[in-house]
Amino acid sequence: MFIAIVPAYNEASTVGAVVKSLLPHVDRVLVVDDGSTDQTSSFAKEAGAFVIRHGLNRGQGAALETGHVYARQIGAEYVLHFDADGQFSVDDIAPSLSALQEANADVLFGSRYKTRMAKARVPWTKRYILRPLAQIVDRLFGAVKLSDAHNGFRMFTKKALDTISISHDGMAHASEIPALVKKHGLLYIEVPVSVTYHEYGQRMVSGIVVVKDLLLGRFSR
Amino acid sequence: MIIFQLLFFLFSFFAIGTVIKRRKDTLLSNNGTLFWMLFWILADVVVFMPNSTTVFANALGIGRGADVIIYIALAIIFFVLFRLHVKLHMIEQHITRIVRDDAIGTMQDTESQTKK
Repeated sequence: MFIAIVPAYNEASTVGAVVKSLLPHVDRVLVVDDGSTDQTSSFAKEAGAFVIRHGLNRGQGAALETGHVYARQIGAEYVLHFDADGQFSVDDIAPSLSALQEANADVLFGSRYKTRMAKARVPWTKRYILRPLAQIVDRLFGAVKLSDAHNGFRMFTKKALDTISISHDGMAHASEIPALVKKHGLLYIEVPVSVTYHEYGQRMVSGIVVVKDLLLGRFSR
Repeated sequence: MIIFQLLFFLFSFFAIGTVIKRRKDTLLSNNGTLFWMLFWILADVVVFMPNSTTVFANALGIGRGADVIIYIALAIIFFVLFRLHVKLHMIEQHITRIVRDDAIGTMQDTESQTKK
């Protein structure tokens, strides 16, 4: 079974369309509603998704791991991480799955910097300031070398799903996953995916929170 | 005896009483009780004999006794703050686990009721 995990927090305006667009490309769409205060859950259900709802907002990493727990329970063979705000394109799913299978890899990371249109699509502050800083932080915390670690488009095989357990509730999971890939010696590939920016996304303050979470994570286990 | 010394002594007396009460209520470990008792006794010694810190400061190569107190206090405060941060992080993780188990359990209940 190929399951798409869509973490969503107050995404009522986009989640329905995202679920409908995903359904022809995967066997099951699971929306993890991370304690939304709007109608995210009901719109996702109406669109045809399975919905798990967190009683409290716990962060994107926590929502993804909840999806992982469910995917393990139903014995999913492939898992796709896909954002609920409609920034990713479903046209990237089939080529990515083929690339993952052909490379016999365990994890696939999407990269917006590997596309030809990267310069035009990615804001310059992300390209020249946030991305280099994020890469330095990721390397310091033991991640594999990626051009776009903080891209939410990822695919896991069953092996990776059984091996990787996300412990960071917030956005630090984006640094944790590449670190766990390296730690467990999993095979990974990076493929170009298109990203449409509706909002700016993560800002510098979010980056500082990520570093704080990564540091504290080192001392709390 | 100046007023500050008297007030501090009364406060430390109250603090030691609280430590003993916490120990009796088994909210404090033996090591914790020992640490806080020594802390307040030492604080009394410093307040009643201010020059005692100067001797200690000079041994460490620091000029004034008050400076030693400030350095040690800052180090302890930062250490406690760090430990609290880590503790908070762990509590957050426990909350997430409870929220996750509850969310998945609710979904499974709904699924099984739908199948019936």
